[in-house]
Amino acid sequence: MKHTLQQIFRSPNFVIGFAIFMALILFVFIYPLVVPDAPLAIIAQGTFFPPGTYVSVYDSLGSTQYTLNLQNASAARIGSKVSDTDKAAIKDYLVLVGVPEGQIDLTDTQKLLEQWKTNYDPNKNISGVTNAKRNQFIRLNTSLQNANSDQGIVLASQDPTSGALTQTGTVKLTDYVDINQIASAKVLPLGTDNFGRDVLTELVSATKVSLQIGFVAGLIATLIGLTLGLLAGYIGGMLDDIIMFITNLFTVIPSFVLLILISFSIGQDQRGAVTIAVVIGFTSWVWTARAVRSQVISLRNRDHVNLSKLSGHSIVHIILSDILPYIASYVVMAFILQISSGILAEAGLSILGLGPRTTDVPTLGLMMNWAMIYQAHILGKWWAYFPILLDIALITFSLNLMNTGLDQVFNPALRD
Amino acid sequence: MKGYRRYFLNKLAWFLVTLIVGFLLNFILPRMMPGDPVALIVSHMAQGQSNASGVQAIYQQYAELFGTNQPMYVQFFIYLKNVARGDFGFSFSQYPRSVADVLSASIWWTICLQFPAIIVGWLVGNTLGALAAYLKGGFDKVLMPLSIFISNLPAFGMAVILMVIFGVNLKWFPTSGGYGFDLIPTLSLQFMWSVIVHYQLPFWSIVLIAIGGQAIGMRSMSIYELNADYVKYSRFLGIKDNKIVMYVFRNAMLPQITGLALSVGTMVGGALVAEIVFSYPGLGSTLLNAVMGQDYPLLSAATLIVTLMVLTANFAIEIIYGFIDPRIKAAQAD
Amino acid sequence: MGKVILEVNELTTKYITRFGEDVYAVDHVSLKVEEGKSLGIAGESGCGKSTLALSLMGYYFPPLHYTSGEIIIDGHNITGMKPDDVRKSILGTEIAYIPQAAMNALNPTQKVINIIEDVVQAHDPSKKKKDIYDLARAGFEKLGLPADVLQRYPVELSGGMKQRTVIAISVILGPKVLIADEPSSALDVTSQKMVIKMLRNLMDNGMIKAMIFITHELPLLYNVTTDIMVMYAGQIVEKGAAKETVFDPLHPYAKGLMGSIIVPEAGLRGVKLTAIPGVPPNLKKPPSGCRFAERCKYVHPECKASSVGVTTVGDNRTYRCILSEKELREVYKNAN
Ligand SMILES: Nc1ncnc2c1ncn2[C@@H]1O[C@H](COP(=O)(O)OP(=O)(O)OP(=O)(O)O)[C@@H](O)[C@H]1O
Ligand SMILES: [Mg+2]
Repeated sequence: MKHTLQQIFRSPNFVIGFAIFMALILFVFIYPLVVPDAPLAIIAQGTFFPPGTYVSVYDSLGSTQYTLNLQNASAARIGSKVSDTDKAAIKDYLVLVGVPEGQIDLTDTQKLLEQWKTNYDPNKNISGVTNAKRNQFIRLNTSLQNANSDQGIVLASQDPTSGALTQTGTVKLTDYVDINQIASAKVLPLGTDNFGRDVLTELVSATKVSLQIGFVAGLIATLIGLTLGLLAGYIGGMLDDIIMFITNLFTVIPSFVLLILISFSIGQDQRGAVTIAVVIGFTSWVWTARAVRSQVISLRNRDHVNLSKLSGHSIVHIILSDILPYIASYVVMAFILQISSGILAEAGLSILGLGPRTTDVPTLGLMMNWAMIYQAHILGKWWAYFPILLDIALITFSLNLMNTGLDQVFNPALRD
Repeated sequence: MKGYRRYFLNKLAWFLVTLIVGFLLNFILPRMMPGDPVALIVSHMAQGQSNASGVQAIYQQYAELFGTNQPMYVQFFIYLKNVARGDFGFSFSQYPRSVADVLSASIWWTICLQFPAIIVGWLVGNTLGALAAYLKGGFDKVLMPLSIFISNLPAFGMAVILMVIFGVNLKWFPTSGGYGFDLIPTLSLQFMWSVIVHYQLPFWSIVLIAIGGQAIGMRSMSIYELNADYVKYSRFLGIKDNKIVMYVFRNAMLPQITGLALSVGTMVGGALVAEIVFSYPGLGSTLLNAVMGQDYPLLSAATLIVTLMVLTANFAIEIIYGFIDPRIKAAQAD
Repeated sequence: MGKVILEVNELTTKYITRFGEDVYAVDHVSLKVEEGKSLGIAGESGCGKSTLALSLMGYYFPPLHYTSGEIIIDGHNITGMKPDDVRKSILGTEIAYIPQAAMNALNPTQKVINIIEDVVQAHDPSKKKKDIYDLARAGFEKLGLPADVLQRYPVELSGGMKQRTVIAISVILGPKVLIADEPSSALDVTSQKMVIKMLRNLMDNGMIKAMIFITHELPLLYNVTTDIMVMYAGQIVEKGAAKETVFDPLHPYAKGLMGSIIVPEAGLRGVKLTAIPGVPPNLKKPPSGCRFAERCKYVHPECKASSVGVTTVGDNRTYRCILSEKELREVYKNAN
């Protein structure tokens, strides 16, 4: 046993797979300790906030202010305030009043604003410009003046009874606050999803649930497959024929069709994560049954098994001590594969709208489904779908690597 | 030829048996489940006037057509009769279209998309896998991890990735649909071109996924065969290496064909979900619509069609296999 | 002394594992087989018997590699030859091989006749199919095999028939030396007998001039071969005429193997090589001294210190031990 383990851990494939998988598991268990938020809590008003650190504007006003003289701060500020559409509008105007197009550089916001300042004249009449367009330029001018102002902002509070405003402070352009000193700031490393939920927290919880689904489905499938395989292989005869008939049937009848039919019939309200896992387990045992059976048949007439039979051991005893240890490696490998295919099956089902009901827990499939429905991929909100895909790929990839590693240890022919 | 005939009849019988069982399951499974959609239909029917009369009429019509308030075995034979006539009743969600109408519009999209894609993926994957086993070294070291990674990606994942890269960012291909939304299906050149362009991303995502899995399978098969005793013996008989390599790849291919027969179901399942990502007008989207619209007649018919497709593909592969593996004719002859 | 058909001098070959380690499975092996003689090779599983058999063919492919030594077949030194020349003019025509796992030695998707066509054409591409068929048919008939086997796939043949077919294919090009690696180990008793009879016929009819025979079954070894060689951890530890090696072994390892056999006249029915406690050394790092020292009942301190040379007794008997023949006999007598 110890020797086998040593050998397994010397297989690079297995070690890499194991390391990735364990890292995922650790992360799934440690993250909630650090960020104990409810995974499905809606924290954002609006959809798809990009990843970033969100700082409370209100709290930052009240915190200690520092003066920093940063050279390129104003350029950055102006750059962030003038949107691409505004820039395009500026260019439009400049071209209309006859500035050569070669002199207009959309990337240099400051120069653009200067050109605007020198060229803009609200009273100028340009031919071919509609009234609406004129008004648009006027509005643009006002907003640009604000962007360009270096006045700072005066803060005032309102007296609740009289309604009079009294100045309470100013925010200068050189005022800064330390993020660490602000009472409420929220890091959203993966932004929010379409419902305004923290994607990372949701993803961690979904990973956990999906792993559980895979685990339960794999366990059920392996147990059924193992039992049927053992019975068919060891007892043989009629029983073997019957079991093999059933197994062959379910090998060709596509299991996802059964999965769809059952999940649909169970109905949305009844479908919890566990139910889904059980259904997946019950529709995916065939491969294990086949593999176990063929292994058992080759073992059945080995000397040690015959010896055990002659010494009058019961079937249960023979199976437990003379058969199981020899097929254990296959069973473990099959189990690992079942976990991964269980996770994939859940994801497929969820995209079809047949996943677990959406109210209690997220799963990787559900998250993917939401991202698809809200078109995160078409809108370019990568943080709402890419981490999920990566997560699924990492889980299945690591499980399969482990499996390949085990296979190489137990089937030396595949080594080179 | 006598040997082959026996093999053929054997496979045909098996095809019929699986078809019958598939059909039975399609009928029984929903009726055994706690949320039994057929019972739901009966209850909808009984609710009477309070419902909007249109909806009521559809349920009524379905219940009558399939005799849903009769005993189970009667229902089964009615179902059998209706299905044999291609009558699946009206679609609940797309009334007044009939289920047969909805399906006949979508089934060809799926067949024309998936079967070529799976075959191309199979061919390319096997070639790559054989090369990896034979060449070893760098080629193998690059191809294998890549294949393992790709084959672990669900088909919808590959679909999303291709769509984001080639559809959304590079804008080389459209992101959804089977043809331009502003076109009417005709045999015009413009329409054909649109279909071809829309075909690319779904097609390649299925192909890539298939390549990954097949390459891995073929590689291990070839390695297994390369280490087989007959290879060593043939060498010591003085047979040239390239001739031996031919033996090996031929022998490694054969299990890959049976492997395809066994995995075609799973591949089709994955590909249906990929269709959904692209809103491809095939059976995948039909299934999704049926689920979303709580449309049991449509869902049940769609799953039946998919089962039939998979079983037929399976049967076809077995038949072809019988021609290719010389042992079949010999083994069945005596 | 007859004509020497196969002579091997100080042949060393190694496996290079995928981790780049060297496994010296055949270590400075020398032997001679004369015309009309058959040499048996005995030894525990893993001692390098099969590797020696492969190495004797003079045709190496990974993971097995040639290191040093020479192979002379019928006066013709083949060690310096190009691999493709060996393939074309030696393999199958001068020296032929019957693999250990003959059950799977035939390509399952070819008919026997197609396999033979490929073999013959590999050496003579101009040969017509018709002629090959006649040749194969004649060869099979001479060996007492039904000609309709030629039209069968290997899966259609029984185990014994498959093994006999493999032998027939191996000798189709009339090799001088035949190396048979456990040709009968996986067969039932009747098939075993037929295979052995077939091999003997090959020798008696002069279809092959010499044979090397590897087996685990001591009675077979004794009955089939004229000389016996005992291998341990890649080296030859004892070599001599069959009778003396079996009934009067000198090397402690050979003694251990033959341990249970006392009376020659009682015959050897059902006797197997006895197990010796302990495991053979790892061939990746073989011990510097006597390789058997770890397990030897009669070990001396010097045994492990320096490498042990070969001692020759009489005109044709050798063994590898630091003790002289007399000392060994003394030791064995005291042990009883
Ligand atoms: N392909 C290989 N790569 C590396 N080492 C090998 C390889 N094949 C065999 N060996 C090693 O070479 C040694 C000799 O093996 P060989 O097969 O020649 O033994 P054997 O005497 O024929 O055993 P058996 O009686 O079981 O047939 C063994 O220690 C084995 O571990
Ligand atoms: Mg051997």
